[in-house]
Amino acid sequence: MTAVEALSPEGLPPQAYAAALAGFHHMSISRLAALLRHHTPYDAWQIALSRRPAGGLIGRVLAKAELRDMWQRSARERPPEMIWQQCRDLGIDVLVYGDANYPGGLLDDLFPPPVLFARGDLGLLAGRRVGVVGTRNLTAAGREAARSIGIGLGAAGVHVVSGLARGVDGHVHRGVLAAEGEGRPIGIVASGLDVVYPREHRDLWQATANCGLLLSEAPPGTRPEAFRFPLRNRIVAALSEVVVVVESREKGGSLITAAQAVDRGVPVMAVPGPMGKRASAGTNQLLCDGAAPVTSADDVLTALSFHHGRSAVHPADLRARPRGEDIAVYRALQHEPRTIDGVALYAGLSLVEAAMSLARLEAAGWLAQTDGWFECVGSPLR
Amino acid sequence: MLAAVRSATVFGVEGRPVTVEVHVSTGLPSFQIVGLPDEACRESRDRVRAAVLSSGLAWPSCRVTVNLAPSNQRKGGSGLDLAIAIGFLGAHGQVPISQLEGLGFVGELGLDGSLRAVPGVAPMVAAMGEVRPVVPAASFREAQGVVGDGVRVAAGLREIVDALNAEAPWPPPPDEEFVDDEPPPPDLADVRGQGMARRGLEVAAAGGHHMLLVGPPGSGKTMLAQRIPGLLPALEPDVSLQATMVHSAAGVRLPAGGLVRRAPFRAPHHSSSMVSLVGGGSTSLRPGEISLSHGGVLFLDELGEFAPAVLDGLRQPLEEGVIRLARARASAALPAKFLLVAATNPCPCGGGPPGACECDEGARLRYLRRLSGPLLDRFDLRVGVSRPGVDDLLATGGGEPTAVVAQRVASARRGALDRIGMLNANIPPSLLDELAPLHPDARVLLRDHLERDQLTGRGYHRIRRVARTIADLEGAGELVEAHHVVMAMQMRVRLSVTSRERAA
Repeated sequence: MTAVEALSPEGLPPQAYAAALAGFHHMSISRLAALLRHHTPYDAWQIALSRRPAGGLIGRVLAKAELRDMWQRSARERPPEMIWQQCRDLGIDVLVYGDANYPGGLLDDLFPPPVLFARGDLGLLAGRRVGVVGTRNLTAAGREAARSIGIGLGAAGVHVVSGLARGVDGHVHRGVLAAEGEGRPIGIVASGLDVVYPREHRDLWQATANCGLLLSEAPPGTRPEAFRFPLRNRIVAALSEVVVVVESREKGGSLITAAQAVDRGVPVMAVPGPMGKRASAGTNQLLCDGAAPVTSADDVLTALSFHHGRSAVHPADLRARPRGEDIAVYRALQHEPRTIDGVALYAGLSLVEAAMSLARLEAAGWLAQTDGWFECVGSPLR
Repeated sequence: MLAAVRSATVFGVEGRPVTVEVHVSTGLPSFQIVGLPDEACRESRDRVRAAVLSSGLAWPSCRVTVNLAPSNQRKGGSGLDLAIAIGFLGAHGQVPISQLEGLGFVGELGLDGSLRAVPGVAPMVAAMGEVRPVVPAASFREAQGVVGDGVRVAAGLREIVDALNAEAPWPPPPDEEFVDDEPPPPDLADVRGQGMARRGLEVAAAGGHHMLLVGPPGSGKTMLAQRIPGLLPALEPDVSLQATMVHSAAGVRLPAGGLVRRAPFRAPHHSSSMVSLVGGGSTSLRPGEISLSHGGVLFLDELGEFAPAVLDGLRQPLEEGVIRLARARASAALPAKFLLVAATNPCPCGGGPPGACECDEGARLRYLRRLSGPLLDRFDLRVGVSRPGVDDLLATGGGEPTAVVAQRVASARRGALDRIGMLNANIPPSLLDELAPLHPDARVLLRDHLERDQLTGRGYHRIRRVARTIADLEGAGELVEAHHVVMAMQMRVRLSVTSRERAA
């Protein structure tokens, strides 16, 4: 794109007008798509403000005085130069359908986003991508599953697409970041890229922008309104080569994502759960419907036709190897979690000896403790 | 004719002296009580009149005015009945007024003239000062515990009148055998397994460290908590007297000896209201559960189920050891120095070993959030309790009995009190280096934890205090060693889900 040609009479690039249009009140995705389909963003802007005649859907829409007024007001409140400046200040790229840097994977989508806002590395979309989604109300088992899938994919260099929501979304991305591998988090969000939601994910949001990619259909400043979430899910499905559902109740956003994936021919995989548990009702139904089961990140990698040898999956263990009675204590925990009392009894140690040993193992990173229970973490001692 | 009789009422846990002035004159027959009596106090007109008549004494048609001085303070309860009756009899000339000098009267009258016990006799007789108290026979031990010898008792109004008229000697005090009728506190030997939790109880008792027991239902949290009072030494004389005053003022039955000597154990239900817990009420400011556990243990089971406002009400007394209650008309400071022991499930379903929990993350977060905040910070010890397994039940015999552990606790407490005059839980941070110097290994260990972000500044001080207590219990020297610190850290379990936020 040659910038000089593209500048409008006001000296703004076309992306500025597209961004401003995306922020209009009652500018649905279909209206925006209709506006931008046959016109440059600048012409579309003129049409939306009724400075030029319009036909088709837009003509019918603009026949309503109410909407015309609303759009005029939106244009006055948030003019293109203002939004453009905002995007520049926040480091947000504006991608218009058909631009050179518009994600290729979305060009032939069923319902491609007319305008996208991005922070981070767009080059990640050229890598291998897996969508991982699930409920916001997850169980401890679901949390572990999401995290371990995130770690496994991240370590194998696969980028993980998710929605940065509470629950599975957050844990899988934390896993990706914890893996410190080549795989990066790709977050598709429903609000403006400067409106962090949920707030407790501020750090995750920042990390995703810094070392991964954040995408949204909404311009900066947009509140996370409920209708935006299902729309966001279609982008998650469209950008993923495989969609993995970790935990889902009988209804929920992650099942919408799975359905969107099916519509697009994207394979859906699901983590099986115990029967009768609500947290697994949705995923088990997916399995019944023919989704492939996921019992570890390796299953997903296999579905991506990854060839992964042991060496790639098990990086060198840098933790100090346990010695002496610590080995016995570690063995006592290898098959089931125990309390200090349980460890002391099993390993035949006094409470103080057991406590000291557990503290050493925990400090070295072999164990973790919650509610007084000790569990082995990381790859097992061999 | 006019008579003045000394008596007292209770406000908070303090007695307040009251002078009952009775004036009898001719005029239209009437019986008025002035001086801000409450309902129970006003009703004493009917009780007193009936009691006088049933005791074979006269109540002629005359005008009787009773003033309760000082007349600007509210008076509550039925404890002034006896003083009003005696005042009337004195003013009417049925007992010599000179005989009333140097006596103070407390008690409720029955319609038949019998004398009944009232709550608060201990603080009331303490407030009356240099007089010989005359109290109901049932309150003898209580009064004697406070003022020593010289307490006079009576079973009914007639006995007192006869004694005042020198027609009969004062009735002898009840001389029933002084029996300790309190059941012994439950013994630690009954607890199977639970090594860490037992250790936790011992440390809590020895150092005065507030303790939170975390574990699933049925793991024995309540059973463990009930065993702490047995580990605590008998109350010091001054604390014992304060506790007696509180119990008396609240109308809680006192032990046969009259004084509360053993550490109290109070376990209010989680539906308890703010007033029942911290004390209050408009006329008398009745002591609440936190004052009743003065010198002993306040056990809050299902901590998360208590109303958040009620829990917040505990913060100031935890800090200061007294609860200051203020009402529009009056305020009072009630003693409330207690060991807080609380129990909670780790999550709504009760939890258990990792993986057993069926709750979703939102529910767990909400549950723990109820406990969160400043109150959680007050617990030095967070001990995990698990359901004992079959192995525990079979393999370990009964553990150490209470008597053995109590001895260790007593010597550790003595050591701490000799060192600085306070229990280890109260050591100010500035004195930690002097009173709980760290062995180099222990220092390395703590530094490592701080660096790994598993400990906050506040948590660091708490661990050092607890480690001091553990060292004291072991009879170790002045230096706090690495294994003391490790045990202290293991007695501070991380709560799931938000472990990072809660590393404190």
